Amino acid sequence: MNNISEILGINFVVIGPTLVLLFTTIVLLFCTITISTPVYIKKLITFLGIIATLFSIFLKFGLFARDGITSYFSEKILLDEFSLVGNVLIGLVLFLTFNSFWKTSEEIDSKTTEALILILMSASGFLLMVDAENFIMLFIGLEIGSISLYALAGLNRGDQLSNEASLKYFLLGSLASCILIYGIALLYVSLSISGVYETSIAISFIGPENVPLTSFIGLIMIIVGLLFKVAAAPFQAWAPDVYQGSPTGYVGYMASVAKVASFIVLARLSAVSLRFILEKFNLFFGTVIILSVLLGALFATNQNDIKRLMAYSGVIQSGFILSGISSGVLGISASIFYLITYIIQLIGVFTVFSIISGQLSSNFEISNLSGLGKENKFLTLTFSTFMLGIAGLPLTSGFVSKFILITNLWSYEKYLIVIVLMLSTVAGFYFYLKPIWVAAIEKSDNSVEKIKISISDKFLLGFMATLTIYFGLLPDTLVNITQWMIENYL
Amino acid sequence: MTVIIISLLVVPLTGALLVFSFSESRKEFFRSIGLIFSLITFTQCAYLLFSDYARTNFVILSEYNWIQSYGLEISLGISGMSILLLLLTSLLVLVSLLSIGKNHAESKGFVGSILCLHFAINGVFISGDLISLFIFFEALLIPMYFLMGIWGGENRRYATIKFILYTVFGSVFIFIGTVYTSVISYGFNGSLAVDFDTLSNLALTSSQSKTLFLLFTFGFLIKVPIFPLHTWLPDAHVEAPTAGSILLAGVLLKVGAYGILRVSIPFFTEGFLTYKNFVAVLSVIGIIYGAIVAIAQIDIKKLIAYSSVSHMGYVMLGISAGEYLSIEGAIIQMINHGITAGALFMLVGFLYERRHTRNISSFGGIKSTMPRYAAIFLFTSFASIGLPGLNGFVGEFMILMGSFSSYKILTSIAAFGVVLAAIYMLWAYQRIFTGPINNEKNKDLKDLDTRETLSIVPLILLMLFIGIYPSYIEGFVVQEAGSISETIDLFKGLK
Repeated sequence: MNNISEILGINFVVIGPTLVLLFTTIVLLFCTITISTPVYIKKLITFLGIIATLFSIFLKFGLFARDGITSYFSEKILLDEFSLVGNVLIGLVLFLTFNSFWKTSEEIDSKTTEALILILMSASGFLLMVDAENFIMLFIGLEIGSISLYALAGLNRGDQLSNEASLKYFLLGSLASCILIYGIALLYVSLSISGVYETSIAISFIGPENVPLTSFIGLIMIIVGLLFKVAAAPFQAWAPDVYQGSPTGYVGYMASVAKVASFIVLARLSAVSLRFILEKFNLFFGTVIILSVLLGALFATNQNDIKRLMAYSGVIQSGFILSGISSGVLGISASIFYLITYIIQLIGVFTVFSIISGQLSSNFEISNLSGLGKENKFLTLTFSTFMLGIAGLPLTSGFVSKFILITNLWSYEKYLIVIVLMLSTVAGFYFYLKPIWVAAIEKSDNSVEKIKISISDKFLLGFMATLTIYFGLLPDTLVNITQWMIENYL
Repeated sequence: MTVIIISLLVVPLTGALLVFSFSESRKEFFRSIGLIFSLITFTQCAYLLFSDYARTNFVILSEYNWIQSYGLEISLGISGMSILLLLLTSLLVLVSLLSIGKNHAESKGFVGSILCLHFAINGVFISGDLISLFIFFEALLIPMYFLMGIWGGENRRYATIKFILYTVFGSVFIFIGTVYTSVISYGFNGSLAVDFDTLSNLALTSSQSKTLFLLFTFGFLIKVPIFPLHTWLPDAHVEAPTAGSILLAGVLLKVGAYGILRVSIPFFTEGFLTYKNFVAVLSVIGIIYGAIVAIAQIDIKKLIAYSSVSHMGYVMLGISAGEYLSIEGAIIQMINHGITAGALFMLVGFLYERRHTRNISSFGGIKSTMPRYAAIFLFTSFASIGLPGLNGFVGEFMILMGSFSSYKILTSIAAFGVVLAAIYMLWAYQRIFTGPINNEKNKDLKDLDTRETLSIVPLILLMLFIGIYPSYIEGFVVQEAGSISETIDLFKGLK
């Protein structure tokens, strides 16, 4: 018995986090259907579920320390540095956004449990996605995660914008999934492979110069499917509408979790599968990066809705992160550093928005922030920290991440990309400072009234703002983690 | 010594945090806290002035690991020029905190921002590597953004964003330069270290040196500002509150020139020799253009802002001539301009607090109502013009003397800037102070009170002191100007 499970690679610790989240959703579902459970019990169950998930992620580290990089479940599930970091980041996203998504779900009275189940299921899907070795597994994980997100975007059914967001997200997201699965099929047809490591073995076997065009197209289609999820231009069209329409309390979670999972998978593809043929994708990646950065900066300058602004800023950041991932292994570590600091700031910004505008709101104009600093010093301070961090001002983590990334790009001799990225940073100061101006500086007649912030919100916001400053002053720890991550692939 | 260097950063920051931690209602405390903490910094700088490091080249005194796996370190150190500029900074912070009116002094945000600005400027002058130089250079923007944005004039939104975008645009070039340098450094040392000791040992190729010189100098020249890139300065000055203007003209403009002297010339000398003529021409255009535009101004603050463009042109001319005397003159002119421009902006601020206008035509004949003010203004104007015996003369004379051997025609043209300076300053004085009082509102203007006089007197004394005994201040920069010009001569010889 033991032997068979070893041969098949059955190991429940590896998919532990996914299982824990699934179990939590089942308990929640059971509680709702059978006995009428008070809301606070549900909150407790969800919270304990998330804590248990974090713990089971911790267990995976032990397994990794013992066995190193290993495949499980007949080479379907992979345990490596990327999956570990991806797991931790998704756990972190769940933990940091818990307050906002809980409150949002609580506000949708009749559908509280549905909303929670959707969130936990999407997290379990994305966890599966970052663990996947087989491309089909990756697709399954991505679909479980995304379909929950489509529903989440449209959960506020009374709101037209929310419906629009959901439909747009669904239609364009399914298109992306089609492209992804078609790419997987093409790759299988051309080289009869469908795994991360299989691809690199096959390529090294036939030699990088003999790789057939079909498999190139297949790989590009897989990457395009993933780039859809991170809203890199020219696949960014859904992002502004979805960010704007979805309930504000969910956007922080939706945006960050999809970005984390997709970028981790892209990083693994770049480090393992495309290892020998990465230069052949330079033109493709270069176009995507430059388009993302320029289009994002261009559209972000004249947005009135701050959620749309953040969406376009996300497009720019995707360009930044992609530039490291597409250039080589050291670039990947810089990109992961960038990703970690960025999602902390992103979640922080959206937590502030959901506190100010209410959890279920869709539209959120920049003018709604006016006079925030008068009564709400704490919110203004944290909000400014996050915005300056995203803009990349020194003393925040945004600067360090940009510095490390640009240094790596320069040593890879990608001068054109560096120049474009830096120009977008200058433009960024124009539109990132605008909300700060409205919130903290401009005097206004109808300023935002004093908002009561719960202790847990205060703790989370303070925690994220502290991290933003801390990684700006003492980035050594986080840099070491990202270096550890890529050390086996150098 | 390390303790003092670090406390130059810690003390202003502690002051700022202390101010921010008070509740908004404790109005009477903010100014005193600011004064106390800037006085501590001032004392530390004065102590440094008498230490062994006051007459040396840049010495790195302490290093900290920043990102170990990249080999990046934060280095801090000082030199004679740094100490003079630090002293100037803390003096200007001190007097500007003393000079500001009640509405600013009783706002904790204002005093706190000034102290944060103090922290960042100190950081620029003591940073011993490119990374920390860049970090503090950019960090200056945050307090300036809030100072100008919250307490600025009518059109502050436009001016602030222009100031920020210009500076950020310039610092992008410095950033790319830093990245390029660290990648080159990696090739030599196996680490990305870019502290000044490492940089001076890098063997750069000619094209690398030229590229890096252009990248760094472009960023710093925007901050100076040099002629075609100066347009942010008048806007920023007009909209900034008085204390902001004092520090902007007094210290922030020097950050650019300091960067060129500290980084661009010593480390990328070959690039400097290639492009110095270009910089010299631009600075002479700046001298004449700034002075002519200043003549035509109707706003006093704008007039002084354009005069800053002209005066900083002298600094850049002296630097780009690259002679021993001219570089020394440029450093002294930096200090002098900091004192005089700071004093002038403070004086304009006093007038603005009384009348809430800076339009020259709305004054006239106020010498009779404000005799003390008029006397101080005239004295400062003379210093700014460069009357022999006052500080302005020393720097300009040394610059013109030093650069004449390299640029005969350019220096001759630049000398006319002194004449033009006399025209715009004295004509403005004439229109504001002399003649009959035409405007009713000017009849009951109050003269300077004790606090205001006290805040301007240190600057006046310094103007006189440097004017009479310039060799004292010269002693601190001899070594540094000498070694910079030696490096330049060495490369000239190689060519």
